[in-house]
Amino acid sequence: MGEFGLRRGRAELRSAGPITFGPAGILFLADNAAAKVFAVDVADPGPAGGSEPFDLEDVDARVGSFLGCEPGDLVIKDMAVHPLTHNVYLSVQRGHGEAAQPVLVRIDGLDGAVTDVPLDDVPVAEVTIGDAPAEGDERLDITLPLGDEGEELQVGERKIRILRQPIRTSTVTDMAYADGALLVAGLSNEEFSSRLRRIPFPFSDEVAGSSLEIFHVSHGKWETAAPIRAFVPYDGGASILASYTCTPVVHFPLTDLTDGAKAVGRTVAELGAVNQPLDMVSFRQEGQEYLLVANTAHGLVKIACRDIDAQSPLTEPKEPVGVPRETKDLQGIRRLANLNGSHVLVLQSDDAGHQHLRSLKTASL
Amino acid sequence: MTEVSWSRRGDADCIRLTGLPAGADVQVRPGTAAALGGLPPMAGRLVRDGAGLCFVPRFAFLDGTAYTVAVDGATAAVLIRARPDRPATTEVTAIYPTAAEVPGNLLRLYVWFSAPMSEGYAARQIRLAGDSGEVIAGALLPGEHELWDASRRRLTLLLDPARIKRGLASHWDAGYPLRSGEPFRLVIDRGFPDARGRPLRAGAERRYQVGGEERRHVDPGTWILTVPPARTSEPVQVTFGRPLDHGLLARCLQVTGPGGQPVDGTARIGPQERSWQLAPGQVWAPGPHQLIVDPILEDLAGNSVSRVFDRDLARPEDEPRQARPVTLPFHPR
Repeated sequence: MGEFGLRRGRAELRSAGPITFGPAGILFLADNAAAKVFAVDVADPGPAGGSEPFDLEDVDARVGSFLGCEPGDLVIKDMAVHPLTHNVYLSVQRGHGEAAQPVLVRIDGLDGAVTDVPLDDVPVAEVTIGDAPAEGDERLDITLPLGDEGEELQVGERKIRILRQPIRTSTVTDMAYADGALLVAGLSNEEFSSRLRRIPFPFSDEVAGSSLEIFHVSHGKWETAAPIRAFVPYDGGASILASYTCTPVVHFPLTDLTDGAKAVGRTVAELGAVNQPLDMVSFRQEGQEYLLVANTAHGLVKIACRDIDAQSPLTEPKEPVGVPRETKDLQGIRRLANLNGSHVLVLQSDDAGHQHLRSLKTASL
Repeated sequence: MTEVSWSRRGDADCIRLTGLPAGADVQVRPGTAAALGGLPPMAGRLVRDGAGLCFVPRFAFLDGTAYTVAVDGATAAVLIRARPDRPATTEVTAIYPTAAEVPGNLLRLYVWFSAPMSEGYAARQIRLAGDSGEVIAGALLPGEHELWDASRRRLTLLLDPARIKRGLASHWDAGYPLRSGEPFRLVIDRGFPDARGRPLRAGAERRYQVGGEERRHVDPGTWILTVPPARTSEPVQVTFGRPLDHGLLARCLQVTGPGGQPVDGTARIGPQERSWQLAPGQVWAPGPHQLIVDPILEDLAGNSVSRVFDRDLARPEDEPRQARPVTLPFHPR
């Protein structure tokens, strides 16, 4: 692990957030409470995976049972598939509030067995996420901590414990590894901006990473910054397709990602009204690359990468078309990941709110 | 006869079993449903404890959860972990903006709580409602990502930007979340659990009138500065032409003295976020001072000093302005 700068230690995860695999079985875990990203060698014990599908009904109840909580006390924050073994990793929060505990869970791709991945003695590296808090922003919220966190103060004859924490935070909404760097999209709890950070990996103290502010133009008439909700690198990491909180699908080349630059992405599609993108994944079908977008309202959308490259920017209002896309009538899909070359793994909620892992055959998508 | 009870081992809670048959298989699962058998057992270990065994869980038992203990596949006991009955003490301490009227393209609201809160409940416990109580559906940005400060006391709420931005499908199909001339209320339910799982002492709400759209730069050149006399500790005050964002105001303004060094003191945001003042820790030195404005400072509709939110490309006056801080000189005499 030396080549990636990982050292044995504890990944002090304070909250469960987005996860994604990088090189050599290293998993990146975003921790929005601590404003950090950890890189952990998960030392997956499994043999190399095959091309079979993997399905697991009631994954929330199964993971909850293993962790000793009801499904209602479990939040599955994200999902990733180990690129070699095809075991499934879930970033989950167990319990709420003071009792909330982040756990990394591994589900065996062969038999569905659930285990937790201990993070207290693992090869690990960490990086602080850019602008939280900003330089010069000395505002700290001072509270009485719930546990034994914080610092002790002498007030008269009493000793009290206080916790100083930043008010401005940046929430990671999605991450991907491409071309030697971790790309991190986030949402600020104050200013409205669209920053995509590029953090070279191995992490380094000197290189904080660059950030690109991405704007989108609606129909050639209006330009706005917009926080990225989900994104996926494709074309070998040369291009990125991003979907905003306000649902336009925007393309930009990764070569634009120089520090402090402003880029205007090319809006290539809109995914429809009152809809939120949730996740994106790329896959290959008959030698062509395609993208899948999971949405809150509009099912699963499939887009051909060659159509993205050919699509000129949308210029007319009320132009719903954009790139040709197919909508799969698959509702409740919250997360997507490549399982193997033959299947895309989805995390799907049913009408009763139960969650399941299901494989979609790429040849049939 | 197997007996099962809550117990303690070291500093952790455990389930104690006595009278077990030799070599018995013990499994614990959360819940009481009959279908539990197909689910994996709770992670933990069985350790010898005097005449009995203790099940010590890897992840602590959760309050308010029932645990089913099976011995050799048959239910031996269901133990319920009681939720402590603690009085509600947490309350909403502030809701921003405090302006009585907000623009029709309002982008952001803040809610402050007196103690850390639980995440994951905002969509259920907070809503915008019309005067007759009907929920304004789809007004707030939905999402899995709640925007809390690090201590989980301030929650940022965004109105759905897709409905505010002109030219997007959501705007065309669903329109603005708010309508000019139609008042609305931000409502926080009493059931919003704090970090200890207790409800609030009381629900909270704030009512707003809705004005027209605001789509201009924040322009420090139009602000009015009230300059204090030198050698006094009276505050310097700046009055804006419109309410500005409370969260950003608290960090985007700074005063420097004749040598360029920051002037320390007590800053206050004025009523309705229409003004800001700084009372210096020491008397004002005579000589040139500057109010320095970070260009990211936004108004209630997301327009900043440097850019207009959702700018009309055909309007040259809306073009982005310099990203450097804007300075407003003043001179205590």
